[in-house]
Amino acid sequence: MTLPTTQRRSAVLALPLAAALMLAACGSGGTNGGNDPHTITLSYASANPTDQVYEVLAKDYMAAHPGVNIKTNRIALNAANQTLTTQMQAGNGPDVMWINAGAGQAASIGHLAKAGKLLPLTDPSLKSIIPATELEGYSSNGTLYGVPSSSMISGIVYNDEVAKQNGVTITPSSTLQDVISQCGAVKAKGKAIFGLAGSIPENSGIMAMEIATSTVYGSNPNWNQDRAADKTTFENTPGWHQALQAVIDLNKSGCFQAGAAGAGFDTLTNYESQGKIFGFFAPSGATKDIMDSAHGAVKLIALPFPAPQGTKTYMTLSADLGLAGNKNSKNPKLVEDFIKFSVSPAEAKKFADAQGAIPIGNVDSSDLLPQYQKVAGLLKGQQYRPYGVDGWQNGQVYNALGTGTTGLITGQKSIDDVLKMMDAAWSS
Amino acid sequence: MTMIESQGRAANDRRSTEAPKPARRPRSRYRVGYGYWWWALPAVVLMIVLIYLAIASGAFYAFTNWTGIGSFDFIGLKNFRRIFQTAELTGALKNSLILGFGFLVFTNILGLLFALALNRRLKTRHLLRVLLFMPVVIAPIAVSYIWKFIFAYEGPLNQVLGAIGLKSWQHDWLTDPKLALAAVLVVMVWQNTGMVMVIYLAGLATVPAELEEAAAIDGAGAFRRFRAITIPMIQPSIAIATTLMLIQGFRIFDQVLALTGGGPAGATQTLATEVYQQTFVFTNFGFGAALALVLSVLIFIVTIVQQYATRDRT
Repeated sequence: MTLPTTQRRSAVLALPLAAALMLAACGSGGTNGGNDPHTITLSYASANPTDQVYEVLAKDYMAAHPGVNIKTNRIALNAANQTLTTQMQAGNGPDVMWINAGAGQAASIGHLAKAGKLLPLTDPSLKSIIPATELEGYSSNGTLYGVPSSSMISGIVYNDEVAKQNGVTITPSSTLQDVISQCGAVKAKGKAIFGLAGSIPENSGIMAMEIATSTVYGSNPNWNQDRAADKTTFENTPGWHQALQAVIDLNKSGCFQAGAAGAGFDTLTNYESQGKIFGFFAPSGATKDIMDSAHGAVKLIALPFPAPQGTKTYMTLSADLGLAGNKNSKNPKLVEDFIKFSVSPAEAKKFADAQGAIPIGNVDSSDLLPQYQKVAGLLKGQQYRPYGVDGWQNGQVYNALGTGTTGLITGQKSIDDVLKMMDAAWSS
Repeated sequence: MTMIESQGRAANDRRSTEAPKPARRPRSRYRVGYGYWWWALPAVVLMIVLIYLAIASGAFYAFTNWTGIGSFDFIGLKNFRRIFQTAELTGALKNSLILGFGFLVFTNILGLLFALALNRRLKTRHLLRVLLFMPVVIAPIAVSYIWKFIFAYEGPLNQVLGAIGLKSWQHDWLTDPKLALAAVLVVMVWQNTGMVMVIYLAGLATVPAELEEAAAIDGAGAFRRFRAITIPMIQPSIAIATTLMLIQGFRIFDQVLALTGGGPAGATQTLATEVYQQTFVFTNFGFGAALALVLSVLIFIVTIVQQYATRDRT
């Protein structure tokens, strides 16, 4: 059986052509608001499909600015870095986007600003709204490119009621030695004060960072700048040795659950719900997520990690997620106005409450959710430091800290090994 | 040479000595029919564009410092020097080799043993074949999470060991740096032995029972028959099974990511997980491409050597 020559030739040509058109169609799904001066797009990342905070923010802006249209686009959190980077590289990124502070992630201020993809925010009032400690993470070469959406404490998500029932007391004024002295008795009951997901470098890393906030950044808030200028190294900083020694001491004293080095987040969830652990290391927004899931059956609070005796405890205040604009947006003024709107006091409070976080800007204790009341004094007294990782050169340094901390627990690494790994990662 | 092979070759020789028929000239220069090579052209073009050009461009980026966005510089062999000067990455290379060869050896030994055991005679062999093959059809990621649960500190394995009085054997299987890699290998072998068994069963089906019976009558023992008759006749199956398992072992990814995430402290990182981490977690696309190139070249070289070693020598 044969076909007429023309049809056969057409068929041969049509197949690659159709494939090319399909591929072109795949690549043309841009999210940019286009030429409509009243329409912009907003892409945000969320692990929870029912998360409405950015949708509410967009609706509030549209209500306050009749005629403006904001098209929202939710991206699954685990795909956000790759999706946003690819869109921005392809030139079809959103006008406004969810973004990470610092340079440790793909979709971060440092990474995208260096590539010239972000819109400089020129409104001078923005710099006064953003806490001075957070400006570094949202700037690149002195230019502001983004604003944080809320603040959280990177500390201990703690069940104070269950801990007290087991005879354990930890307060914001406790020291590391106070905690360690209580671990043995708890371990004897088959429980642990802290749960650690050691198989996840981010969880080991956040714990070490919480201690380092007091031992490193407490005495030298400019440590990151010193490291960037090669005035110091991880290995040569006593505070880093102190922080990692604290991890070893906590482990030796049985402060973590059995099998901590290989545990995942599922272990933390199971043990927390069974009362086998009293706290774990996470951004404080987790308090709300868990309390909401438990429908009020669990009451959690946020606490800073107690510093070693003789060192003042500083809380880790992290505002590492925010919003930034696309440099290629057709409506840069609208983009900047929307970003500014997101940190207005009313919106910042609404956003923070929905996320179980602390509002951006000047905060009064009446603005705080119940889980933050024990640390209201530390917040008021500004006894906090920003999350040091936000000022690090790249994500490998934090990964080296996380995997190295787990290595300290398994005995694979020494403190010097870990700090050398971090220095090498910083320079890579 | 076996009798069967002799007959097959004789048939081939007859065909090759027959006078070739004169090729029929097409009536028109442009006239085509089914079976002409250029009907495959669209697929070939797509494959070249989507696979080979993508691989070639990936190889190009291995010589750059591209971060996935913005411009990049050509940095020569710097990425490759870094790979071989970084202890973590040479460790990943070593782990890839251990997993690759371990996977090759264990799946083939166990797969062949199961195939021999379930080839003939046993009444329940069909049911047992299904049971052994079943893990192959489950997604590796799902299998890995099941095993992660089994290996967990308070998981079933340690509970069983405790229940039978072997408390001293209880371990934190996935956290102990000495055991974690072996645990990953166990999961890989457990899931894929069924596949190798099926390949060998197909090979064993070509071994005539009469031949073995004749050898047995001539006084050849079981091992002699296996060495002199079975092994030569299933040579093609050995080549296929070893090639597939070697390649699969070297590019292992899902199981490592799900079971240990490359931990504890990098003890189970492989080249494939490092490629993923460097490229998509740290956005070092250039460096990740260099790692991927090293992995590809490694697989290519080892496969060539392996093909040579298992070639048909008859």
